[in-house]
Amino acid sequence: MTPAGWFHLERLPTAAATLFFGALIVVFVLLARRGRPLYIRRIAGLEAVDEAVGRATEMGRPILYSAGLDPLEEVATVASINILGQVARRAGEYETRLIMPNRDPIVMTVAQEVVREAYAAVGRPDLYDPHDIYYTTQSQFGYAAAVCGTMMRERPATNFFIGHFYAESLVLAETGNATGAIQIAGTDSDSQLPFFICACDYTLIGEELYAGSVYLSREPLLLGALKGQDLAKAILLALLAAGTLLAFLGVDVRPWLGR
Amino acid sequence: MKRTGPVLLGFVIGMLMLVQHFTPDRWIAERYNNILDWKQVVFGLTLILGVVSLFLYHWRRIARREEGWRYSLLTVGGLAFMIGAAILFTPSRGPYPWMFEHVQAPMQSTLFALLAFYVASASYRAFRARNLHAALLLSAGVIVMLGRVPLGEAIGLNHISTWILDYPNLAAKRGVMIGVGLGMTATAIKIILGIERTYLGRGA
Amino acid sequence: MPAPLAAGRPPRRAGRLAALGRVDRRWIFLLVGASVALPLLRPLHLPIGTSREARAYHAEVERLQPGDEMIFSFDYEPDTMAELDPMSLATLRHAFSRGVRVIALTNYAGGPGIALRILGQAASEHERQYGRDYVFLGYNPDYSATMLRMGESIRSTFPTDHFGTPSAELPLLREVDRYADIELLVTVTASALAEYWVIWAGGRFGQRIVAGNTAIQAVLIYPYYQTGQLAGFLGGLKGAAEYERLIGRDGAGVRGMDAQSVAHLLIVCFIVLGNIGYFAQRRSARAAGDAARDGEA
Repeated sequence: MTPAGWFHLERLPTAAATLFFGALIVVFVLLARRGRPLYIRRIAGLEAVDEAVGRATEMGRPILYSAGLDPLEEVATVASINILGQVARRAGEYETRLIMPNRDPIVMTVAQEVVREAYAAVGRPDLYDPHDIYYTTQSQFGYAAAVCGTMMRERPATNFFIGHFYAESLVLAETGNATGAIQIAGTDSDSQLPFFICACDYTLIGEELYAGSVYLSREPLLLGALKGQDLAKAILLALLAAGTLLAFLGVDVRPWLGR
Repeated sequence: MKRTGPVLLGFVIGMLMLVQHFTPDRWIAERYNNILDWKQVVFGLTLILGVVSLFLYHWRRIARREEGWRYSLLTVGGLAFMIGAAILFTPSRGPYPWMFEHVQAPMQSTLFALLAFYVASASYRAFRARNLHAALLLSAGVIVMLGRVPLGEAIGLNHISTWILDYPNLAAKRGVMIGVGLGMTATAIKIILGIERTYLGRGA
Repeated sequence: MPAPLAAGRPPRRAGRLAALGRVDRRWIFLLVGASVALPLLRPLHLPIGTSREARAYHAEVERLQPGDEMIFSFDYEPDTMAELDPMSLATLRHAFSRGVRVIALTNYAGGPGIALRILGQAASEHERQYGRDYVFLGYNPDYSATMLRMGESIRSTFPTDHFGTPSAELPLLREVDRYADIELLVTVTASALAEYWVIWAGGRFGQRIVAGNTAIQAVLIYPYYQTGQLAGFLGGLKGAAEYERLIGRDGAGVRGMDAQSVAHLLIVCFIVLGNIGYFAQRRSARAAGDAARDGEA
């Protein structure tokens, strides 16, 4: 059988890039496993997590956490659930109630498990209440209304909006602002970033959200994967700069690439 | 096995979904289609999970007469009514579409309409020219806001607005897209290789 | 010369200016409401130009021949129907007027109600017959699986239409079964689904796509239009108004333009007022600080 019979030749560059990227991640994970220290820069929004949870404890008010509107298969939701685990640990240590309305039933199920394990990990399994992590509705603005209602009734001292959001982001952030809560947002949805930046105290932008769980946990394997990702981005930037320069000089590279 | 099984299954399915993109092999394509069909079935079942969770949450509030329990009664009543209407009359006729058109649709539209007010109050409160960056952001926002409506077109702001959207906006958007795309790819690779296990319910 | 500042007390004019930065939000809400309502009651008839993206969108539908097939995806719910209904209705009117056959679906649970209303209205205006000229496949819960599966077989993805009729029995679906059979895919959405259509239907199967988005999402669609992955798009109510002008039939899009113009101008005015108040407050605080230091000295 010819190569064209078992492989889409036109997708070869994608395959090569995927393999290279995967190899970078594996290499850095192995380096991290061997104990090599890996640097990660300071991210203001994540530095403020402890302060935010502490504020809720001092005021005797709960924490509200929203993982966004996307299902678990979306990367932003995965990142948010990872950060939720870290926030839940701190909430358990400080004995602060954590409320989490959900738009997706699978996310709700996973979140319940994550929070339960987080409380158990800090020796406070008795604090876990599954009814505090609940499903609201699949409707976008129905969910927004439910979260706003919770904020007005429960008056959380700290709001976390971490995940992928849509138009309801400003409704959530403004309502939280009106209740006087400290708000930490993080999203890879660039259309909603301006609203969160306006209305929240701290905002994680794009990949800072993906780095969030790594930053808070400092787990070596995840740190290694993040470094691999950073190196891939640096290589891409170098290629972009080189391509821009060549284009500026009028050099056409397409014949070299067989196009 | 409780942890290893799902990770192994994730690896096999993940690799299959990755490989199928690069090969025209018929057998793999059929397995891929099977997975897509199963995905839809599982998704439908999770909706049932969500409805049960919703019902239990509000039923508990009603049973304990917690603050606002009457609203929970309204929620459960609405849920039961719509399910009953869909079963007895089908979703295409009778009270189900009527409730959708005359209750749900206006309520959802109203909530979205609130955004206009919130945008105004948030802009007024937060758009301050505190430094050069904030002033640039403010200026670009004002130009694009006016340039995208007939009033701005009448005074020629649409051309500047189009330039801002075509060049600075696109450059920033592409930068974020590349970063987010790499992050997504990295997370997918981590899930396939078992480094990322959030879906098992474990935190990081 | 103005009187020297008393320590901690700003001059009266600075105080009034600083107050501009502390307007109660309820006044803002009231004025925004009035700015939208009044132009709807007394239209200003501001001129409406057309953007190149809207012209490209129009050209894509215009190039379709009678009998060509179009997939139309109603990817939004009632919350955004005020902004997206006008472009959906205008597109379907344009398509039906050209004899294009439409396969409609939705990826949102709240979409069927909207789809049935818009499809019904446009089809009845052009005397189109269900099953032959257009079909509505209904809602599938998993959008990613739906988009990918349709590239293999539309009938397998939707074994029945929204009303329970087997897809194989619908005359329109006997002739087409995958993206390769479809001339154009139109998605009208308030979310990122336009990007997913581009990635999966466009990137993987080469389907030609145009998109209608809310104004906020339209900003994100620009990269795909610039690279040619999207053949055209409409952005928000303005995009709908432009398209209505291009097809020569004004509707809710055009009617909303005056209100949108006045509301945007009002928001800009508030931003300016807020900054005047901010700078006045900063200046008076600085002056009060200077006066306090002079007093101590």
